[in-house]
Amino acid sequence: MKYPDSRGHFGEYGGRYISETLMPAILELEEFYKKIKNNKEFKDELRSYLKNYAGRPTPLYYASRLSKLYSSNIYLKREDLNHTGSHKLNNTLGQALLAVKMGKKRIIAETGAGQHGVATATVCALFDIECEVFMGIKDIERQKQNVLRMEVLGAKVTPVSAGSSTLKDAMNEAIRDWITNVRTTYYMIGTAAGMHPYPEIVRDFQSVIGKEVLKELKQIDKFPDILIACIGGGSNAIGLFHPFLKYKEVKMYGVEAGGFGLGTGKHAASISGGKPGVLHGNKTYLLQDEDGRIKEAHSIAAGLDYPGVGPEHSFYADKKRIIYDTITDKEAIEAFKLLCRLEGIIPAIESSHAVAYLDKIKNEIKGKTVIVNLSGRGDKDMETIAGYISENKITK
Amino acid sequence: MANNINKIDELFANYKKAGKTAFIPFISIGDPDIETSFDIAKALISNGADMIELGYPFSDPMADGKVIQKSYERALKNRVTMADAFNFVARLREISEIPVIFFTYYNPIFAYRTSEFADSASAAGIDGVLVVDLPPEESFELKQFIDKKNIDQIFLLAPTSDVSRIKLITSYAKGFVYYVSVTGVTGARRSLPAEMRSKVEEIKNIKDIPVGIGFGISSPEQAEEIKNYADAIIIGSKIIQFIENNLNDKKNIIKSISEFSCGIKSSLM
Repeated sequence: MKYPDSRGHFGEYGGRYISETLMPAILELEEFYKKIKNNKEFKDELRSYLKNYAGRPTPLYYASRLSKLYSSNIYLKREDLNHTGSHKLNNTLGQALLAVKMGKKRIIAETGAGQHGVATATVCALFDIECEVFMGIKDIERQKQNVLRMEVLGAKVTPVSAGSSTLKDAMNEAIRDWITNVRTTYYMIGTAAGMHPYPEIVRDFQSVIGKEVLKELKQIDKFPDILIACIGGGSNAIGLFHPFLKYKEVKMYGVEAGGFGLGTGKHAASISGGKPGVLHGNKTYLLQDEDGRIKEAHSIAAGLDYPGVGPEHSFYADKKRIIYDTITDKEAIEAFKLLCRLEGIIPAIESSHAVAYLDKIKNEIKGKTVIVNLSGRGDKDMETIAGYISENKITK
Repeated sequence: MANNINKIDELFANYKKAGKTAFIPFISIGDPDIETSFDIAKALISNGADMIELGYPFSDPMADGKVIQKSYERALKNRVTMADAFNFVARLREISEIPVIFFTYYNPIFAYRTSEFADSASAAGIDGVLVVDLPPEESFELKQFIDKKNIDQIFLLAPTSDVSRIKLITSYAKGFVYYVSVTGVTGARRSLPAEMRSKVEEIKNIKDIPVGIGFGISSPEQAEEIKNYADAIIIGSKIIQFIENNLNDKKNIIKSISEFSCGIKSSLM
């Protein structure tokens, strides 16, 4: 059986839990995407942008010093080398092409770490489309550099001060804008979550990651035992995992943000520390109180600081096909430092969660071939890292 | 009691015969606090409300504008639970037979467990449920339980709804169809789109069902115009503004809302 089903469900998850005002736009997008996704011209055009504009394929890099440390063969999928510094551009290029072909003149997006915002602003400049990005004021504060990047690219960054002033509130505001301007505006969701067909569209565009890894491994005659990726909404993870799901022998770990630790309640681990519910158009695991109100998430990584997760992850979590676990802020910082010193790569704090997981399963990975998705680069995080280091009086 | 006629259906049947348009005010349970919101509900009932729509506060009200967002925030500070909401309705039932519509987002219902929600809602005396993020495509999981309790599931139609959506939704709809007057979130607006009237006529041509109009209505003048073609008007944000503007003066909240309600009611006469 292929997922999502015709109603946009992954088992009991996913769906279209949205206001009627948006239903016609959602159905239009679904129809349009269905028609175009296997169209050769569309695929060739996207492939050309991915190659000549984004710089794909990204390398699959054998991390020899890291491998030596853990007595295993560790490969890093270098999404940090993708144009704009993360995997986010894979999706925005695809969706921008869709929006252009649908005749939309304005694109809106939400952003947490600012990586999706930057990737959206980038494609809007490229295709000459008006762009407005909604961003929580807490994230604007901790990701100043990305705000500037969006602005120089010509996007309007609209601060959101409601609720926790982070990604979930930015998404609420983007949805309100969409309800108001649905006739002219394309909503570019940045992660594999939200109402159908977004989880499917984002997954498909991000699957270029896993497909490249398959090819790259074939060239060196290898096959992976274990895949590791960090999970916020889960787009980089599903992009790596999805093309491998059919290989039953490949084990997959999705690493959620453990924040101060699951026991403290201050984390962003929707699967490990939440329960199923409905938010932002889909049924999925959510952080919520017993009355069904959404709780604020916490993670040092702005890109993981979201109280939900893509519905496909919820589905594979229940099926136990993918294993979900957590890494704390502290563990992520340690892994960040480790990768900088051992490999000369400054990873995003989000991606550092995936790197940190190597240590958590160090016995299991001995002698194994492991792929870690390095979803983004850490230049944007230097202030956060400096702040954490001085606050916690740890060494650089 | 499942065999009784639903109060919403009964009211619209009577009003149709009499050629009357119903006034449905909206307030949030627990804003500014539970007792005051109960007093507001009472004041609305004695000053012209034909039905009442009670909002159950949610943390992420994506279809709502600033006024109702803030109303929910105030109510959430008072830690209003589903049990409080049912108790609120049960107390209203002791003093009035007015039809009650429960308005919320789906997650609080799902967290309460949908089947138990239907049981408790029915026991409290709720007549209709409107879940703003539950379009027909996802509505079965609630419908299967509230149908058995003879509670009407109210659906929205919007300016963006084409003929196929109108057909689909009117085939699901019970009680009445709630027509969202604008492409936008809730909130009072000075002017309303001209297409409203033709859209309501389009709906009624497809199915003979009561149509209520909400989102954006704020004045007796607008009500007077709308009564010519709609079966009900729903006013929320404008009423809640009276709460927001008088947070430290409960007497004035009740007084200003009562006056406003009377004004709307007389414009519908």
